[in-house]
Amino acid sequence: MRFTITREKLQEGLAAVAASIPAKTTLPVLANILVETTEKGIRLSGTDLDIAVSTEISADVETGGAITIPAKKLSEIARELPPAPVRVASSGEQRVTLDCGRAHFRLLGLPRDEFPSFPSIKFSESWRVRSGELQKLISHTAFAVSTEESRPILNGVLWELRPDMMRMVATNGHRLAKMQVPIKSSGMPSADLIVPPKALEQIRRLFPADEELEIARGENHLGFRSPFTAVYTRLIEGPYPNYEQVIPKDNDKVAIADKAALTSALKRMSVIASDQTHRIRMSFNAGMAKFSVQTPDLGDAQDELAVRFTGDPLDIGFNASYLLEILRFIPTDEVRMTFRAPERAATLEPEQWSDPAQYLCLVMPLRLVD
Amino acid sequence: MPRISVLPSAVADQIAAGEVVERPASVVKELVENALDAGATSIDIAVDDGGRARIRVSDDGSGMDREDAVLALSRHATSKIRKASDLVGIGSFGFRGEALPAICSVSRMDVETAPADGAGTRVEAAAGTVASVSDAARRRGTTITVSSLFYNAPARLKFMRGARSEWRAIVDTLTLVALARRDVRITVTHDGAPALTLPPASSWRARVAALWGAAAAEKLVDVDDVAGPIRVEGLVESPQDVGTGTRRIFLAVNGRAIRDPGLVRAAEAAYRSTIPAGLRPTLLLSLTLPGSDVDVNVHPAKAEVRFRDRWPVERAVEGAVRRALGTMDAAATIGVRSWWSERGDDLPAPVPLGVESLRDTGRAEPGPLFAEAVGVAELEAVADPRPPAPDPPPLEIPPLTQWRRTYICFEHEQGMVLIDQHSAHERVLFERFMGVLERGESPAQRLLFPLTLHLGPAESEAFDANRELLERLGFEIEGFGGHTLIVRAVPMPHPRFDPERCLRDTLDALTGDRLASGAARHEKLAATVACKAAIKAGEALSLDEMRALFAALAGTTLPAHDVHGRATIVRIGWDELERRFGRR
Ligand SMILES: Nc1ncnc2c1ncn2[C@@H]1O[C@H](COP(=O)(O)OP(=O)(O)OP(=O)(O)O)[C@@H](O)[C@H]1O
Ligand SMILES: [Mg+2]
Repeated sequence: MRFTITREKLQEGLAAVAASIPAKTTLPVLANILVETTEKGIRLSGTDLDIAVSTEISADVETGGAITIPAKKLSEIARELPPAPVRVASSGEQRVTLDCGRAHFRLLGLPRDEFPSFPSIKFSESWRVRSGELQKLISHTAFAVSTEESRPILNGVLWELRPDMMRMVATNGHRLAKMQVPIKSSGMPSADLIVPPKALEQIRRLFPADEELEIARGENHLGFRSPFTAVYTRLIEGPYPNYEQVIPKDNDKVAIADKAALTSALKRMSVIASDQTHRIRMSFNAGMAKFSVQTPDLGDAQDELAVRFTGDPLDIGFNASYLLEILRFIPTDEVRMTFRAPERAATLEPEQWSDPAQYLCLVMPLRLVD
Repeated sequence: MPRISVLPSAVADQIAAGEVVERPASVVKELVENALDAGATSIDIAVDDGGRARIRVSDDGSGMDREDAVLALSRHATSKIRKASDLVGIGSFGFRGEALPAICSVSRMDVETAPADGAGTRVEAAAGTVASVSDAARRRGTTITVSSLFYNAPARLKFMRGARSEWRAIVDTLTLVALARRDVRITVTHDGAPALTLPPASSWRARVAALWGAAAAEKLVDVDDVAGPIRVEGLVESPQDVGTGTRRIFLAVNGRAIRDPGLVRAAEAAYRSTIPAGLRPTLLLSLTLPGSDVDVNVHPAKAEVRFRDRWPVERAVEGAVRRALGTMDAAATIGVRSWWSERGDDLPAPVPLGVESLRDTGRAEPGPLFAEAVGVAELEAVADPRPPAPDPPPLEIPPLTQWRRTYICFEHEQGMVLIDQHSAHERVLFERFMGVLERGESPAQRLLFPLTLHLGPAESEAFDANRELLERLGFEIEGFGGHTLIVRAVPMPHPRFDPERCLRDTLDALTGDRLASGAARHEKLAATVACKAAIKAGEALSLDEMRALFAALAGTTLPAHDVHGRATIVRIGWDELERRFGRR
């Protein structure tokens, strides 16, 4: 294998793949990047066995071939190279040399056969989605996944693909985020996929917003592909809990509040809220939301905020950090909250959002102690 | 000038008469106490045949002049008090002036004494009658030899036990003296063979090591505490060692060894939740309190005292022991001791800045995806401007690392320290749950997707029995007919809490349990839930979680032990490491 590549292209390719290289691994070859020649250039691939990323970059190929090279060292070298074309050549299965300007490196790699093969996914049957839409769904929902190992299903984001729309849902059992956007029908069948958020983060990071992605499903895997870059991820086995059933339909108390003002009031209350539960109390009455918090051994605090409230007065307890977290993703200046009773789910939504997307978050209350 | 005077009979009557001389051990006790009263710094005791043949006690105390030496053998002759009011706050062991006459009346007694080196006196007596008084040159001090005890009292003679058992009683007696007066050199020989050699000791620990060996001393934790006018010092067994060796009890009040079941109970109460019920710790405690607060003259052998106000004394003992267990050397390494002593009270202190629950930051690939989320980091930033608490001083958390996903390790001035993450968390949660059970309801997080549990008959029964308490802890549960439970809300003691597993394991552990009493039931439940809810060994912790656990542990009342009495903290001293590396 022998090729020449610009320093910038090499750096760009390595940056795309580097995030998929595990920091610690028991399988030495996973610390390496697979470098293969293609018709147009070279392909760089890395994987931690859960997620695989591969990207193609242009290069002048003299002789075809493949080898794996220690990822960390290769990235460090690429960063320090002088601004000159980089010549890479392998000799035998394990040795590789790299020349740039007058700098010369020899590295010990591993044979390409040791590198795990990527899941076989046929992109002949694929959904087509604009990357920007996908990024929007990911960034508004993935935060809500559970990080606990007790219910692995909740560690993933539910991605529902329908002929005319797609939707993502994530929850940890205490709060839930759900967003859907309309899509152009691709003629593909509907699907429910549960995707690890780590993979979604790669998707969000790697593809430019205006790129159209092909998405196809293998047996337990999902593949995302643009003309140059592909991401593969393991899927989490379903079924996902029936979230529709827990979305309240009869919440009859509505409060509309200024998002920034609500956020700062909640932050003020959080100072005194307990470290374990962040519990605060909210009391809604015509035109006013009252906040209070009381933590044994620490103290108490109160605050008030003018809101537009309709319905019977209500006292309800929440984990303030759940509310604050959701408020960060509410895309409008005002937030609409609905309630039914102190033990029932509350909803938070953008108010007056002129966007084809629909966004809804749920929070389960905390028991109040009197 | 004779110092001994015969007490007026009114005073004599006020003093409880009693059986002073029961057995050889009581003779040893009286003679040794007299030596101590005489200011001896060194006492040699020689015993033959378990004391049945001969007891000799020599001291280097004040000695007596001839007149006193003779007078000492007559009833109610004492140099220690003159009138009844002197009894209040008495500092000497003796005050009745009846020990020597009582002993003398049932034995042959030989007193050799000199108030200064050189000319002294020898008094020989038998059956209470002085037979001869003669000159005897000797060093300053007194040697009293009692032989043929009870030779003239056949009824008493019959009741003496074998030499071994009398010897054991003598050893017990001398042990009490040795603990009460660590400053005095004591040697004991039995049938001519040295049995105990106790050099003057600067500390309790040194005296204990001389008495029972270094290993026994290592199992003990220092107690040293002052509550108002009451000072409590000594050594108590560290919880993980309770039950592993002989149990020993020693109580002293103002230097006088006493029995007092009430104080023992108070000290034992301090062990609550650190040792299994039924095990009893070794307790060596010495109380110092104003003489006017104790009455020593309630027992013929002076083995009991009466406190003017018993309650504060018991509280002081319990508090001192509790703090000692909580602040064991090991615990001191997490900064607890200094913090407590600065606070100077035993209230469960509010945990200082930097204490959070076990939080989950940094565990879920904190990539840019989550950077936008309101992280704990931000909440913390908000939390920072907490009014700087004037006290307690902020807890300093050293750099922590996790080993084996089980131990949180850090460096300390005196060595390396390991905290068992599960035990430590269990302790933290136990105290929190106890607080919830005793003071009120815990917050409960309602669930979007209620949990369904199917129970066996035994677990259902355990659930029915504990339902109300579980509810208080934050589990909101509906019975759903048969053995099915629907859990609608759960406590969230830490972000990794797995409520379903915790509830299941708890009910499983509670099956077949019949605890009637409220407090015991609270403890059992809190301990069980804490054990099941705590993070396990083998779980990787983020730095924030380790710091939070460290701080929370420092905030507990008994950080050094988990609810089973196992150590939560182990320290390996630099000297130990240096020894192993051959550096010394
Ligand atoms: N080893 C000794 N050295 C110096 N004086 C002694 C010694 N033993 C006894 N005496 C003197 O003899 C007195 C009588 O002793 P005795 O033990 O009979 O009475 P006590 O110690 O005063 O009272 P108690 O009966 O309560 O022990 C003491 O008060 C003390 O003055
Ligand atoms: Mg005496």
